[in-house]
Amino acid sequence: MSDTQLADWRNHALTLESEVNKVVVGQKNPVRLITTSIFARGHVLLEGDVGVGKTTLLRAFTRGIGGGYQRIEGTIDLMPNDLVYHTYLGEDGKPHVSAGPLLMSGENLSVFFFNEINRARPQVHSLLLRVMAERTLTAFNKEHYFPHMLVFADRNQVEKEETFDIPSAARDRFMMEIPIAVPSDAAIMESLVFDTRYHDVDALVGNVPEDLLQFDQLNSFSATLQNSITASPTLRSYVLNLWRATKTPTEFGVKVSGVDMNRLVLSGASPRGMGMVLRAARVNAWLNNRTAVLPEDIHEVFHSTVAHRLVFSPVYEMRRTEIAREMLSGIINTIATP
Amino acid sequence: MRTRFLLVIFAIVCSIQPAIADIILPDVNAKYVSINQENPTRDVGFVVGDVLDRTITLTIKKPYELVKESLPIEGYEHRYRGQISGIELVKMSTEETTHSDGATYVLHLRYQIFTTGKLAKPAALRAEIIKLRNTSNTEVVQYRIPSYSFRISPLSVFGSVKLKEEMSPFIKPLRLDATQDRLQLGISIGLLSTALLGLLYIFGVRAWLPRMGAPFAKAYRDIRKIPDTDEGLQKAVARLHTSLNKTAGSILFSNNLDDFLQRKPAYTPLKQEIEKFFMLSSQVFFEPTTASHVGESPKVWLQIFCRQLRDCERGLIPNIKSKVSH
Repeated sequence: MSDTQLADWRNHALTLESEVNKVVVGQKNPVRLITTSIFARGHVLLEGDVGVGKTTLLRAFTRGIGGGYQRIEGTIDLMPNDLVYHTYLGEDGKPHVSAGPLLMSGENLSVFFFNEINRARPQVHSLLLRVMAERTLTAFNKEHYFPHMLVFADRNQVEKEETFDIPSAARDRFMMEIPIAVPSDAAIMESLVFDTRYHDVDALVGNVPEDLLQFDQLNSFSATLQNSITASPTLRSYVLNLWRATKTPTEFGVKVSGVDMNRLVLSGASPRGMGMVLRAARVNAWLNNRTAVLPEDIHEVFHSTVAHRLVFSPVYEMRRTEIAREMLSGIINTIATP
Repeated sequence: MRTRFLLVIFAIVCSIQPAIADIILPDVNAKYVSINQENPTRDVGFVVGDVLDRTITLTIKKPYELVKESLPIEGYEHRYRGQISGIELVKMSTEETTHSDGATYVLHLRYQIFTTGKLAKPAALRAEIIKLRNTSNTEVVQYRIPSYSFRISPLSVFGSVKLKEEMSPFIKPLRLDATQDRLQLGISIGLLSTALLGLLYIFGVRAWLPRMGAPFAKAYRDIRKIPDTDEGLQKAVARLHTSLNKTAGSILFSNNLDDFLQRKPAYTPLKQEIEKFFMLSSQVFFEPTTASHVGESPKVWLQIFCRQLRDCERGLIPNIKSKVSH
């Protein structure tokens, strides 16, 4: 693929980003990270309080990407088969079976949104694990493929009642966990409350032009993109040091206040996780019109791609968000590049 | 009987012979002779073996003249009351200058002490007696050169000495032996100086001069020694990164530069240059295909940039347009 095509795709990506930023205001960083994950072909876990605009954000992206969009709500009684099919009595009084959200769009499924994933049972998580990892599903004696599917899930970390913690293996399938916070800018806060434009979500999302990207070309373009952006030996060495530091932060002098660092980390980032860091960093470099990955590209995606993969001692799990943030910032501030 | 008488007469003659030899001549009239003496500068503290020089200048007016045979004789053992004085004339020389009305004689006398004692004792360079002859008649008169008194000290003190009883206005004040004290003082000053230098070095962050060991000062010295090659450029950039990180207290990247400048506002004038440095670093380490932002000679630019950082480090305003000196 020529440089021109890379530039064209970049223009499309930036246009999508710009359009989404018009709809969901005050979330530039999450928007950039979601754009990155779309082009890195990684699943995204959104984390944030209720009503901060997670669903609106994903719908806006889905509209821009094109393809099929399916959504399911996580509940405590949700079973795996609810994702695959549902049965009902038809007008003819006979039982009927129709495709569930996963199968409804067929191979054109581009975004599968799992709302409040932590309310679903582990059985559901288990099914989702396979779909996310392999993008296939066996149902009705047939193998179904979802080559263009990205899973966007969200969870509310504050509410713990009737929830199931997502196991580390499931978390590791997500390329990024992106925190969505309420914007702190007073003008944005005011417009979110008083500007009626933001009250009608359907109309708001409808402002995003449809099919800005061609969802069925994203896989091939992503592969080309990954091959086009280089990583120098110095950067490789830097990333390896970052990886080691997630496993043994004490060896690099990383400290977190009020935490016994020798007992904190049970497991650092996985090889798959670090691979995803590089995939995302390459996309970030491309979005910034570069041909090689810089440490700054790694930094842009490091927290969102690594934090949710860390496994801490149970005693520190309650504070994992703040501990992970401080530890990863400490790693970046401690490890030198050249 | 006659023989006995002759023996008595002979004995009397022999006994009075020295008296005939020591005939005392009349003193010359003082108006015919004037004298000038140059004696030793001190009159105490002489010990056995010491040499004393004495110069006598005599001006003798006519009609008198010096009888040179009467001058003192070298090696003559001087006696005082029958005892050898122990002070010997070891050398003598004479200079004579004649005038119309007389002559001047300069006598250079050198005496040496060959005596000592348990205590300091008085001694004198003897009074030399010379003879003058009146040329108009046969009269012979004498002139007495005054003696010079001094004291001979023993080489060492025997037995206990009571200093108060031995006090003399000629003895210099005695001083305590301060050799040990001086040695201790010297050692103490040496130790103190070393300790102060050590403290200076430690408080100066392992540098002899203030801020000499500061990160950019060190980096500037190091970078100047690095060769201007591709490998050298990598080393130089890495070296500067190290100094920036040390100054920032954490790893400095282009995306946390603003935080750094907020914490260290002294470096604010160099914001653009630091951004250029990060671009250069990216080019050197990560993205070699990009164009250079620092001109044709990155090494020279790095030197200038490092010196500007060093100026900021020293609290000076950096000269943005400065050129490096080779």
